[in-house]
Amino acid sequence: MSIMDHNGGSVVAMAGKDCVAIASDLRLGAGAMTVAMNFEKIFPVTDRIYLGLTGLATDITTLRDRFRYLVNMFTIKESRSIEPSTFAHLVSSTLYSRRFGPYFTEPVLAGLERTPSGGFKPYIAGADLIGCLNFAEDFIVAGTASDKLFGVAEGLWEPDLGPEDLFETISQTLLNSVDRDAYSGWGAIVYIITPEKVITRTLKGRMD
Amino acid sequence: MPDMSAIANPQQRQFNPYAENGGTILAVAGADFTVIAGDTRQSEGYSIQTRYASKVFRLTDRAVLAVNGFAADGNMFVKKVKQRLEWYRHNHAKDMPLRSIARLIQTMLYAQRFFPYYVYNILGGIEEDGTGAVYSFDPVGSYEREACRAAGAAQSLLQPFLDNQIYFKNQTAARGYSHPAHLPLPDVLSIVIDSFTSATERHIEVGDGLEMYIVMAKGQTLPDAVTNLLPEELPSTGDGERVFVLKRDLKKD
Repeated sequence: MSIMDHNGGSVVAMAGKDCVAIASDLRLGAGAMTVAMNFEKIFPVTDRIYLGLTGLATDITTLRDRFRYLVNMFTIKESRSIEPSTFAHLVSSTLYSRRFGPYFTEPVLAGLERTPSGGFKPYIAGADLIGCLNFAEDFIVAGTASDKLFGVAEGLWEPDLGPEDLFETISQTLLNSVDRDAYSGWGAIVYIITPEKVITRTLKGRMD
Repeated sequence: MPDMSAIANPQQRQFNPYAENGGTILAVAGADFTVIAGDTRQSEGYSIQTRYASKVFRLTDRAVLAVNGFAADGNMFVKKVKQRLEWYRHNHAKDMPLRSIARLIQTMLYAQRFFPYYVYNILGGIEEDGTGAVYSFDPVGSYEREACRAAGAAQSLLQPFLDNQIYFKNQTAARGYSHPAHLPLPDVLSIVIDSFTSATERHIEVGDGLEMYIVMAKGQTLPDAVTNLLPEELPSTGDGERVFVLKRDLKKD
């Protein structure tokens, strides 16, 4: 069993029309044993960027703190908040700096990028454990249920979904995927990011 | 002096009698029909051996078998099942009922318990009571009757999608309504085609072509929406159940 699967957990992000969504399960395990059902894997980076981290739980916690520090330093030095595309490359270079002794985590990020005209553009990205970035225009998946998430998301996702339709799509994708994965599940949480507000919803899912 | 190198440097040789040939199969049971589908790509590792190798076979007028895993074992297994069904016909002057074929497949698989056919089987068709049925097997014969099942390379991609779209898992019916136990044939065909296009998109071992077998219960006709897709009807022996085949192209990359 891979070290990436030891604690379990899955994250998915999706792009919609002028909005993005990111969702994860809440399980923390030690192999087949469930240790906690309230282990959140998605963290706010700025008002408009959320970062999901799957993989080894200790590295999830470490990287969350590390990115908080790095983003704080960026904000102070630049006197502005970081953009999603900049943050994606910050994630990439942080992970690649440990190329030969990596953090065992696959990040997924979702945010709204400022356009030159002052509007917002959906931005989602993922990376492998050494920081190879993946910019997708539809959805990004990671974690122990990633193969299931790929299948369901490919079947359910469509372009230009509004916030509520995107919420339904990402929720159904996550719930049905983790129900077929023994290492993910035990509750779920969804964030929908729009230019005006961020909607957070905790989902009731199967607890077995 | 005899050659001592064989003793000094022990050598090991091994022959692996199995291969994994990719591809995916899928079956969905309706109230009075069953759809059994499979892609037609056959691969070994990153190489495509052929873009057209059937994994779905008609056994009788009311039974269709899909085989996935090691293609050589799969073809041999189908050949042997067909032979046993022919013997049954000669002895009893009728086709074997679906549930009996299911049990036959179990005993044939378990007979090879210590050198198994490396094959996942899905049997679909019409029961004696006229209902659609799907039976799924593991390589050593453990089996179960279900309403839908995916197997093979893209099983993990498709099964949760079917849970959602066929069983309506994680969906709550509106107040005063309930989810249907069985979907109509045009809906099932749409879901099957969507499933395989999704699997083709995200799994390298799935693609090239799609073969869908439709088994209709006695006295049932195809809905117009399906007749318009121009399915080929396979010749049947009587005026009972009927079997149709629908073929579709899948992406070849």
